[in-house]
Amino acid sequence: MKILVPIKRVADPDNANKVKVSGDGTQVTSEGLEWKMNPFDEWSLEAALRLTEDGAKKTRTGEVVLVTIGPKDAAQTVRTGLSMGAERGILVEANDQELDSNMVAQILKAIVDKEKPDLVVMGKQTVDGDSNVAGTVLAELLGWPLANYAMSLATDDDGKTLTVKRELDTGVSTIKVTGPAVITTSDRILKPESVKNGVTPADFKYPEAEGGRYASLKGIMAAKKKPIDEVTAASLGATPQKTLSYLKFELPAARSGQTTFVESVEELVQKLKSDAKVL
Amino acid sequence: MIEWSEQHKQIRSMVRRFVETEIVPQIDELEHGDTPPYEVLRKMLKTFGIGEMAKGKFLADLERTKKGEVREKKEREGFHAASADAMAMQLIPIIELCRHSPGMVTALGVSIGLTAGAIQRKGTLAQQEEFVPPLLTLEKVGAWAITEPGSGSDAFGSMKASARRDGDDYILNGSKTFITNGPYADTIVFICRLEGAPGPDGELPIVSFILDRGTPGLEQSKPLRKMGMHSSPTGQLFLDDVRVPKSRLLGESEEGGARKSAKDTFGSERTGVAAMSLGIIERCLELCKEYSKTRVQFGKAIGEFQLIQLKLAKMEVARMNVQNLVFRQIELAGYGKHMDLAEASAAKLYCAQSAMEVCLEAVQLFGGNGYMAEYRVEQLCRDAKVLQIYGGTDEIQISQIARSMLRDV
Repeated sequence: MKILVPIKRVADPDNANKVKVSGDGTQVTSEGLEWKMNPFDEWSLEAALRLTEDGAKKTRTGEVVLVTIGPKDAAQTVRTGLSMGAERGILVEANDQELDSNMVAQILKAIVDKEKPDLVVMGKQTVDGDSNVAGTVLAELLGWPLANYAMSLATDDDGKTLTVKRELDTGVSTIKVTGPAVITTSDRILKPESVKNGVTPADFKYPEAEGGRYASLKGIMAAKKKPIDEVTAASLGATPQKTLSYLKFELPAARSGQTTFVESVEELVQKLKSDAKVL
Repeated sequence: MIEWSEQHKQIRSMVRRFVETEIVPQIDELEHGDTPPYEVLRKMLKTFGIGEMAKGKFLADLERTKKGEVREKKEREGFHAASADAMAMQLIPIIELCRHSPGMVTALGVSIGLTAGAIQRKGTLAQQEEFVPPLLTLEKVGAWAITEPGSGSDAFGSMKASARRDGDDYILNGSKTFITNGPYADTIVFICRLEGAPGPDGELPIVSFILDRGTPGLEQSKPLRKMGMHSSPTGQLFLDDVRVPKSRLLGESEEGGARKSAKDTFGSERTGVAAMSLGIIERCLELCKEYSKTRVQFGKAIGEFQLIQLKLAKMEVARMNVQNLVFRQIELAGYGKHMDLAEASAAKLYCAQSAMEVCLEAVQLFGGNGYMAEYRVEQLCRDAKVLQIYGGTDEIQISQIARSMLRDV
């Protein structure tokens, strides 16, 4: 099985306080930011790796191709994915500020046309834009079935059909999709028994984890030698059109961070009126 | 080397994530409770494939040696990135562990570095094959026993522990103290004098034996209470007429190479201290920067006061210098070289003192909070002190440096 996993780098949420908005408020500036893989993408990569391996023997049985769209140094994020176990990577050179979800979906379609994967497995959203759009639009452009918010995946005997449990506010919806298909994943895809591929023994459990697998030192060294193809939308024959424009960015109001201790309920009410101005 | 490479940073972020998810949540149990560090360390070695990688390389080398293929240590021209990266891969986990729990590094380093290292350097092929692999994966815990109640810095001169021949066996007696992993060790390298005729230098030869946990006559004490490094159990060993066959004599040779071997061990022990210090300093500085920005006194963040700025600036200078010493070790490895004993001593002296100064200033910067366990700097402070004592005290390092300089005059 060949799986395409689109990944995006995002500002490290642990350093979110360093995010700045440009003077004119039209864009988020990326200078000095630490980048990491969008967590939802990391989890979708974990799901894709589980689908294409024997988890017990730790051997690869399929191929995972990573694709990212961004500036040249976004290759580092691809390298991280390669060190976790993906086979190869593609970097579509582009400027983050000049993209929207629709363009991303159009570029991904061009990649899918070229790579012809059996599945596209991607995070349901990124933690910076939070749009939750790209996967859905991609499925529409491809005319492929879409299984979004996947919390578990199991391949049927034919290897082409997947039983997908989707996590919804109203409960869990179980559907069958026949590949090729687009799947977007939620965080529950990390549960120890969330992915069944018919190769890994059915009773095998992955370790409980809050993120994708750790890259081993061997994996990190091997990743150095794995190929990352650099392409552009134009070289793929795609002419993505931007349909969304950002009008204004602003940072949330800073919190004062001051703690005030009070002696009595009366004083508390007084402070809530005079200082906090919430009453 | 002037900075960490992207690959180094990747290793760092992986190990950091492991430490923050697997160690930090149970840090109180490890640092103030009775949880030994081995389970989580084993998990770390397994997660990153460190143990298996070391074991694989060891067994391949051993196989070659058995076949009589002598691997010539070629004098290499120029810089080899792979050798430098191999060194970086050893040091980065040390730095990351030390940000939260330097004791872990001591427990791990003694088992893998000192114990397995000593057997690897001096053991017969059979001894290497039997004892080294399980130590590399921490499947077995190792201890390296040299210090005695009456012998510390003068390790060999005052050594009382002894071995005497009895037929084909040896009878071992003596007591050892401050032995890292002593309470839990499965495999112990026991260093002692061999009774009988003095060697050419007029001294009784110093030899080593490999002992198993549970050998009759060997008693391993409970962990000793100590100032810091609580995640690294330290104990005493008592040997009362312990009988071992010759196959347990390290190298199966009475020639007394243990003195040289122990000295080699000191060298490698010392180089690890730079990385340990860097982890401690980085963490203290991070905590102090944050605190200086958020702690408000007299109506402003304390970072605006010059006396606080002085502390931060000095800490940063220490961080830069210690990091540069770590970079030097990595770069040297790339050239197939390592620090000689005098340079390793100088580096160890400087790094240990810097770590201690930074920690004390960190506690001071945090004021009353710094004295409380909750703010973590007090733990790092207690831990750092031992860097000036173990692996050769500051005073011993100084005399080592001075002797080496004066010899050349």
